Amino acid sequence: MMRTDWRDHDWQLIHTIPQSPSLHMALDDVLTYEVGAGRRKPTLRIWEWAAPAVVIGRFQSLRNEVDAEAAQRHGIQVVRRVSGGGAMFIEPGNTITYSIYAPQSLVKDLSFQEAYAFFDAWVLEALAELGIKAWYQPLNDITSEGGKIAGAAQVHRGGAVLHHVTMAYDIDATKMLDVLRIGREKLSDKGTVSAAKRVDPLRSQTGLPREAVIERMIATFRRLHGLSDDVVRADEQARAEELALGKFSSAAWLNDVA
Amino acid sequence: MHGEYKMPGGKLVVIDLDVRDGRLANVQLSGDFFLEPDSALHAINAALEGQPEQASETALADAVLDALPPDVMMYGLSPQAIAVAVSRALHREAEA
Repeated sequence: MMRTDWRDHDWQLIHTIPQSPSLHMALDDVLTYEVGAGRRKPTLRIWEWAAPAVVIGRFQSLRNEVDAEAAQRHGIQVVRRVSGGGAMFIEPGNTITYSIYAPQSLVKDLSFQEAYAFFDAWVLEALAELGIKAWYQPLNDITSEGGKIAGAAQVHRGGAVLHHVTMAYDIDATKMLDVLRIGREKLSDKGTVSAAKRVDPLRSQTGLPREAVIERMIATFRRLHGLSDDVVRADEQARAEELALGKFSSAAWLNDVA
Repeated sequence: MHGEYKMPGGKLVVIDLDVRDGRLANVQLSGDFFLEPDSALHAINAALEGQPEQASETALADAVLDALPPDVMMYGLSPQAIAVAVSRALHREAEA
């Protein structure tokens, strides 16, 4: 396998209507598999959320991470994703989440640390264009002068790698701390939560609506790497819906690390 | 019992376990680390299950290492970090 570059691939964009949390988990699983099998071109997917959710990492303990009673009280669904990393607190409009489904050749011979930074270099450039001085903070964070902006996670499937990222646009920190059991030592990791009621590094540092930030990110990716508009195929959608209703809604998967 | 260890330059490694007849029982590793294939998590838990309560961190790390599949990928996690988290669960009061 030869190392490839971004421009060696015909990148596709999927940015559709809001989806349920479990369908997002399933789409990541299915689209990674499709790229690995060579049935889908490398793809950037921007997520839109239909409902609030806590997304925990593949290896996080459900009871250690989430206050189930608080989640229920706030009407927040808890789902487990396929990749490692930390918990994300999502309300529609409060984060920007994207997935990159890429052939392994794109990061061949790179260390994990290099591969994480490689996949988000275009985002740092987009943020710079928006006036935010941001940088990669190993192992898997994007941070800025205004605090942590994003956390990334990767998982490898067959010939493909999934790299997905959630960026804090404007998060209600009080509600987040009500639902997530974040130890004091982790607080600094989630931005300046202790002092602020909101974690809003993207909103406060750009002054732009969330949609405008997303538009700029897409434009930057398109300019740097090329990008064609695409949709989820009917067979991909059907498989994802099946998994969303099955595995990703099941107690067995959610409680796999109790 | 519960132990946590933030691996330097790594992620948070958490161990929950019981001790039964001087041996580790119901061992559960968790945290915000990266581990592939994901089935390695259960292999690690199984390797720690039944280890003597008095086992050294080196012995625990060796047991974990022996249980890992050859193609394992760890990022922000190591057998040594897991052993430290086990040791903390056994010897320290649960952290918040």
